[in-house]
Amino acid sequence: MHELSLALEVCRIAESHLEPGTAGRLRKVGVEVGQDANIEVENFRFCLEALLDAPPFGGAVPSIIPCAGPDLRLAYLEVDDDG
Amino acid sequence: MTVRTIEVRERVMAKNDEIAAGVRGQLAVAGVPALNFVSSPGSGKTALLERTLDALGGEMRISVVTGDVQTQNDADRLAARTTRLVQAVVTGGACHLDARQVQHAIDALDLDDTDLLFIENVGNLVCPASWDLGENAKVVLFSVTEGEDKPLKYPGMFRNSTYAVLTKMDLLPHVPFDVERALAFARSVNPELRFFFTSALTGEGMESWFDFLRGQVRAGAAAAS
Repeated sequence: MHELSLALEVCRIAESHLEPGTAGRLRKVGVEVGQDANIEVENFRFCLEALLDAPPFGGAVPSIIPCAGPDLRLAYLEVDDDG
Repeated sequence: MTVRTIEVRERVMAKNDEIAAGVRGQLAVAGVPALNFVSSPGSGKTALLERTLDALGGEMRISVVTGDVQTQNDADRLAARTTRLVQAVVTGGACHLDARQVQHAIDALDLDDTDLLFIENVGNLVCPASWDLGENAKVVLFSVTEGEDKPLKYPGMFRNSTYAVLTKMDLLPHVPFDVERALAFARSVNPELRFFFTSALTGEGMESWFDFLRGQVRAGAAAAS
């Protein structure tokens, strides 16, 4: 549940950075996961994949970037502007 | 295909932390210290709070927010020890309280009529370590029926806590628990931890705990005045 709620928050932040109606064009979501962030990475990846595979998203791929420290950060989004 | 990269660099906990800062500010203005009680299930959070309400409920105005995955059992137990409102948050499966839930809970409390706030988190030694609720400090409990190496197994919780309460001390003669070893493990993770040693059943060590709470209330009121 912990990983799922964090993955939901990643998706909420991602949507807030996209123009309305363009979430389906999202191709990749880069997320930095700190080694002290209390996150089970494979479980978190699974949650992200499940959420990004469902509307309004269209199958974007999560890219997990391990890093030092306690933070979990949405690092970048890759969007296909040609749709 | 034209792929455009949007740099975001946003902390996922930012929204929670923003709400927690608001809670902390609200409590500070009202002069209400808040303690967030965290532990594994069954370490004795509710028993410690029951005993505390029994002893201090007539001396100071204590409000309580409880978090449980299911049932209001803990809130009901505590409500039986106080005439004041006990706010129950049933998370419905989530393994921790978040700042939004605490914000909603304290919205129902009269902070001007409160001296001290207890937040009893969901029993879990992992997830609650990551969520700032706007508290002054986290208080981690672990009982002598658990392993001495809990601080090593769950370092995040012990690192993020300011106080540690060893509970069920009355059982010490009956269990193979080495207190000094447990303290050494805890200090290896967080050298600044301050310890209390209590038994909610016999009352052992509770006076020291109560004095600490009295100090917290005095400091909270002084900071707000």
